[in-house]
Amino acid sequence: MADTRDMNREGAETYLRLLAEAALRGALAASREEGLTGSADPGGHRTRLKLVGQALAAVGALDLGTLEEILVDFNLAMAVRSGGDPRSGPGAALVASLAGHGQSSHQLPMAWAVRLGLGRAEEVTGPGSPDREATPDDAGRFVPVGLKVPFRDTDVSGELFLMSFMRTGAGVRFFAVWNIRAPALRDIALIPFGQFTVTDDRGARYRLEFAPSGDSGWTSEVGLCPAPPPDARWLDIAAPGSKAVRIGLCSPGLGGAQISGAPVTNTGTSPGEHLLVMLAERLLTAVPDQPRNPWRQATTVAPPALRLMAASLGDIVAALEAADVLSPLSPVPAQLATLCASLDIPRHGITAPPARQLPEPWLSVLAHYQRRKPDPVPLLEGYAAMTAALPELDGIQLVLLGLHHSEGGSSLYALARGRLPEPFTGPFGIDPAFPLSVWLQDSGGRWHAARPAERHRGGARDAERTMRLQLVPPLTRATAWAEVRVSGPTAEVRTRLPLRWGYPS
Amino acid sequence: MTTRPNDDWFTCLSRCDTDVPCGSGRHVIRWEAGALRLDSHADPEAELVLAALGGEKARCVEVAEAWERHAADLTMLAVGPRTLGDVVVSWEDVDAADWAGQTVGGAGLSGHIAGGPGTVRRPSTMLAAAMAQASARRTRLLREHAEARQRRTDLLSLFALGPAFQVRLAGQVVAAHAGRVDQPGDQGISRRSVLVAALEGRLALVAERWLGIDPGYVKASLHAGPGWGAAELTGPGEQRRLRVSLPADWLARVWASGLALVGRHLVVAVDRGGWPDARVLALPAPGAEPVLLDVHARHDGPHWEI
Repeated sequence: MADTRDMNREGAETYLRLLAEAALRGALAASREEGLTGSADPGGHRTRLKLVGQALAAVGALDLGTLEEILVDFNLAMAVRSGGDPRSGPGAALVASLAGHGQSSHQLPMAWAVRLGLGRAEEVTGPGSPDREATPDDAGRFVPVGLKVPFRDTDVSGELFLMSFMRTGAGVRFFAVWNIRAPALRDIALIPFGQFTVTDDRGARYRLEFAPSGDSGWTSEVGLCPAPPPDARWLDIAAPGSKAVRIGLCSPGLGGAQISGAPVTNTGTSPGEHLLVMLAERLLTAVPDQPRNPWRQATTVAPPALRLMAASLGDIVAALEAADVLSPLSPVPAQLATLCASLDIPRHGITAPPARQLPEPWLSVLAHYQRRKPDPVPLLEGYAAMTAALPELDGIQLVLLGLHHSEGGSSLYALARGRLPEPFTGPFGIDPAFPLSVWLQDSGGRWHAARPAERHRGGARDAERTMRLQLVPPLTRATAWAEVRVSGPTAEVRTRLPLRWGYPS
Repeated sequence: MTTRPNDDWFTCLSRCDTDVPCGSGRHVIRWEAGALRLDSHADPEAELVLAALGGEKARCVEVAEAWERHAADLTMLAVGPRTLGDVVVSWEDVDAADWAGQTVGGAGLSGHIAGGPGTVRRPSTMLAAAMAQASARRTRLLREHAEARQRRTDLLSLFALGPAFQVRLAGQVVAAHAGRVDQPGDQGISRRSVLVAALEGRLALVAERWLGIDPGYVKASLHAGPGWGAAELTGPGEQRRLRVSLPADWLARVWASGLALVGRHLVVAVDRGGWPDARVLALPAPGAEPVLLDVHARHDGPHWEI
């Protein structure tokens, strides 16, 4: 996630090992209090240890192999002391205790490539990689489309809404939202792709291939096979039962221009600050996951899941300072303390006094949570083309593909390209392999955090993945424009894009 | 069978022995002067050769091998005793855990492997490559799992020898690393990190008995250079901290020998080693000048008195 040259890796490891000592004492004391009815993690000490370790791993101050070893040792140390239920007979008590303390050979839910590299995330080869010859498509070409292609067959009708056209090393395809009107099923397999015809300006013909992408079920990548030549000017797509729709591949078209020159600003944040910001955003976006009542109405105390997440924040701050990735003078811990107070989360352990000011996007989301009235005219369903290839940030380029709002939820779709290590679980469930903070501001001035919800690899040999970013809170109206702010560990980029919305008919 | 002897870190430790279920009977395993001895096995090396040829390996021999494997294993400090007798493992525990590791671990592993990444519509060459990769992953995971199981069985067996052996092994591990604190350990682990945590984890409990201080308020660091180190008590109330700096080998020479707290004094160094009589340098209070004390070991247990 970060440059590790100036880190105090020994300080990080020492901090975590000392925390393990304290956690062992605390967990044993809690275990004695709980007696035989105790939990597998008395006092939550193991969870806290793991979260702090994941935070250190996320900033690169601790390798995952060392973290796993510390957790395994902690679990074994607990098991040989707590002893389980003595009534279960000779030998069985320790076995039960080992099982209760998660004493498997592996403690971290790591991806295979990470697991087998033990601490070194394996990077996917792609553009710029010495393992692969560059192709003209590696630079990528992205064109906003924003056109609806209706289709009507004997059994099914509906429409494809083509958001973006992409040409990369992984292939040539559209990013699309689809909608079906069928008697019972809404299955993309019902779309008669075989009856679609695609023709370019020279008369060459292509077929459409569906590639699943997107957990909502309504979005997908639609590949063009064979790939049209790079200088193709337009494509006509004709679906059964309707007229051909022409898609220009040269001009930016509607719905926002492709920009590659959006200014990149150095943020001057340290790796520790950036991680804390991502944790803060995760806390903010976790609120809608919690049961709404009674918390949203009686804001006395946050639900247990949020409190459990936040309980380790003080230790995480101290660990990051020990690793020299967070200055003791940083304002971010104080902001985090204020955020916890705003979310009614007590006992976060941050010793810095709360800050008076919070970042504007955080305040916007907090204001949304504190609003009691529902929005007057909620957005029911819609989609907007929104194509922009943003400049690379910390080795990752984000290409915005489109917005989709359905069933009360809004998603921003993007293609991530470049340095994309295998995902691994960081603290609070964040993915340190995607260290970007993404926010969207709507034309009403409200901010929406874009939380990574799902990512799909574009192809085994290509360093790119499509991602769904869930907007929290969701959009409430078809915003006329959107400003997207993407921040990496060292820099950020902002771009404002006009939007034209489409709606299912 | 005799393990490699250390230097004289153990001069304040008496010999100790225990009996171990081995074959159809129980055999005595003894520790003396830094070495583990198998009195019931005249030629353990020959038994190892026979075991390699398919014969059954005696448990005593397995234990001695485990002792050798872990005599410099820093894991012992993370898992092993913080106080005498806080780790309790029986031989029934060892057998049950080993059996569970064979059954549950194996089944769990199959599920693990089956849950790996899928391959969808790849060309045949890519499919073959993916299958080869999956096979290599499986082999590696199986090896990792077997190593983890062996390591766990080793540690449990060593703990089953009892508290006296546990602290002696911890002392031996510390002695193996104390002179190389700033060199990286195996697999990139920081020796200093492990030793600082080991020191603080044990010293905190000693200080609790010494001063009644909350163990969480004890902060330890490794002392290097001349002298025994330093100890001071600072701050009131919640800010109260006992900061102690001691050499890494304090854990081996003092703590493992049961000398850490004698007659309300924190022993900070051994001036003249020996058992049952020794002379130690000890603090009556934090910040006070250390005094020399002649101490004597009681024969009814691992305790010392002035």
